[in-house]
Amino acid sequence: MTSPLPEAPQGPLPAIAISVEKLSAAYGGRTVLDEVTLQIPRGTSFALLGPNGAGKTTLLNILSTLRRPDGGSASVAGADVVRQQTLARRSLGVVFQDSSLDDRLSAWENLEFHGLVYGMAPKLRRERSAAVLALVELEDWRDDIVRSFSGGMRRRLEIARALLHEPQILFLDEPTVGLDAQTRLRIWRYLDEMRRERQLTVLTTTHYIEEVESADTVCIIDHGRIIAEGSPEVLKSRHGSRWLHVVPRDQAALDAIRAQRPDAQLLGQHGLALPADDGAMTDAFLTAFRDRLTEVRFQDPTLESVFLSLTGRQLRDRADGDRDAERAAGRRGGRR
Amino acid sequence: MNTFVMALRGLYGVWLREITRATRDRAQLIGGISRPLIWLLILGVGLNPYFRGEVYGEVRYVIPYTYLQFLFPAVIVLNIMYTSIQFAVSVIWDREFGFLREVLVSPMPRWLILLGKVLGGATVAMLHGGLVLILARFADVTLSLEQTAVALVLMFVLAFGLTSFGVILAARVRSFEGFGVFSNTVILPLYFTSSSVFPLDPALTRAQQAVTYPEWLVFLVQINPITYAVDALRGVLINFNQFPPLWGPLVIVAMAVVFFIIALIDFNRQ
Ligand SMILES: Nc1ncnc2c1ncn2[C@@H]1O[C@H](COP(=O)(O)OP(=O)(O)OP(=O)(O)O)[C@@H](O)[C@H]1O
Ligand SMILES: [Mg+2]
Repeated sequence: MTSPLPEAPQGPLPAIAISVEKLSAAYGGRTVLDEVTLQIPRGTSFALLGPNGAGKTTLLNILSTLRRPDGGSASVAGADVVRQQTLARRSLGVVFQDSSLDDRLSAWENLEFHGLVYGMAPKLRRERSAAVLALVELEDWRDDIVRSFSGGMRRRLEIARALLHEPQILFLDEPTVGLDAQTRLRIWRYLDEMRRERQLTVLTTTHYIEEVESADTVCIIDHGRIIAEGSPEVLKSRHGSRWLHVVPRDQAALDAIRAQRPDAQLLGQHGLALPADDGAMTDAFLTAFRDRLTEVRFQDPTLESVFLSLTGRQLRDRADGDRDAERAAGRRGGRR
Repeated sequence: MNTFVMALRGLYGVWLREITRATRDRAQLIGGISRPLIWLLILGVGLNPYFRGEVYGEVRYVIPYTYLQFLFPAVIVLNIMYTSIQFAVSVIWDREFGFLREVLVSPMPRWLILLGKVLGGATVAMLHGGLVLILARFADVTLSLEQTAVALVLMFVLAFGLTSFGVILAARVRSFEGFGVFSNTVILPLYFTSSSVFPLDPALTRAQQAVTYPEWLVFLVQINPITYAVDALRGVLINFNQFPPLWGPLVIVAMAVVFFIIALIDFNRQ
């Protein structure tokens, strides 16, 4: 994921993979997407970052032709998502936010189904199925019924399935929720490789900051509006803020600092965090308290802080465990 | 040419999934086996002696068939009806649990997805109907190979129509629970008013005009399309028709075409 991208795309032209023009969507009169405009070049990775209900899934649904836009237009791989649906779908691989596996079929049967529906020849189907199963390390479960899979295994199978037919464009709606770090790393490595070798375009929504950090472009979306777009570095330098983390020597020092700097925030048991964008103020602070601190550290801007300063809200690394549990309960509840 | 092969693969994939799922659905299979046994063994055997019995004191052999033989084709239709209409559950399942999206974002056109699904459901329903054929010997129905083949074709087309009907129901029902109630209130009345368990005319001969059913019942039986499906199968299996022999097959084909078109309109609208 931190692998360098080639400077110039290797394809014949630096084509635009996904183009969104003033796209709007509403549910019962409530605007969910408000004139969203985006251009995503081929072979790049693009991350959509936004709080719950921002409209990320709605945007992906429109781009994958599952929902019609209420205004504006969009095209994927040059095909209009309303007028050339079949053409558009041919270039897509999609991993949905919630499971779309058939849990009465085995892992292999799910892949076989996918291959057939995408019209793949038998030999290619077998080869690709084996390859993607190996990628997500599910070879040992190939003939097990999906119902017996854990949440993370299902997620892995779903990602494998979306890659089976070697799409030009991949949509991943919070794909790595519930995946362990090792698996996440493997999958991102593979996607990076595909991006370099085959000009795969990846559009992700995610809440893992470290994945967003590695994207070529990050787009912050809130209430259906794009509020910032750019490379992580650009966003951080433009909207992020630096913090000074200090550990006062004793309680008296801590109280003194808090009295002088009301903007200081408690950090853990003993530490304090102070906004450090204003160099002069920071210097003054350090001169004044130098002798009463045991630890001093500058914290560079993070996307977390970018998000906070743009939306006024914390991008919680939400309790993913809760969501998985909820999802599993929903599945159980509906079972006959 | 290439797109044609790809479309065929997709169709096969959707069909195969329905078959695979059905073979893993124990409950449905048990239903498909126990239903004909109950109807033929208990109702059929129980009522057999009364069928050729006396009507108003006169002993008349009103129909040259036993009750078991008379009931046999109707039980096939019953089995097909249950399995076909139960197919709606599979459609609701796909929709509610997200699997549908997997197919909808694939390059397969919608009509082909629906066709594959309905063909799959119809195959399963036809096989469930075919289970009844195994009991033919028991019901005193002797079948030639040709009869069996014609019957299977009729059964498949009937299953295709009824499966499409199940899809139409699925588009109008939100929950599984709702569907359970719904299916029983649809299947049983349709079955009972299809001249399945009694002949349309209890006398069947001019001499017995005294014994007639109330007009409303006769009316219900006559407007029920299942009546003609049962009649078509009786024609093939026991060589007995209550209506012109061509009506049955015509109604079966008409149901298949009309219901599939409505199902497709519904499916495209989603
Ligand atoms: N089927 C629907 N009917 C009505 N409203 C909907 C529907 N689907 C989504 N919405 C609304 O649209 C808005 C955007 O939803 P969307 O699923 O796109 O958000 P999201 O950014 O993907 O959120 P999350 O991070 O929770 O996945 C939400 O306010 C939601 O309530
Ligand atoms: Mg979402």
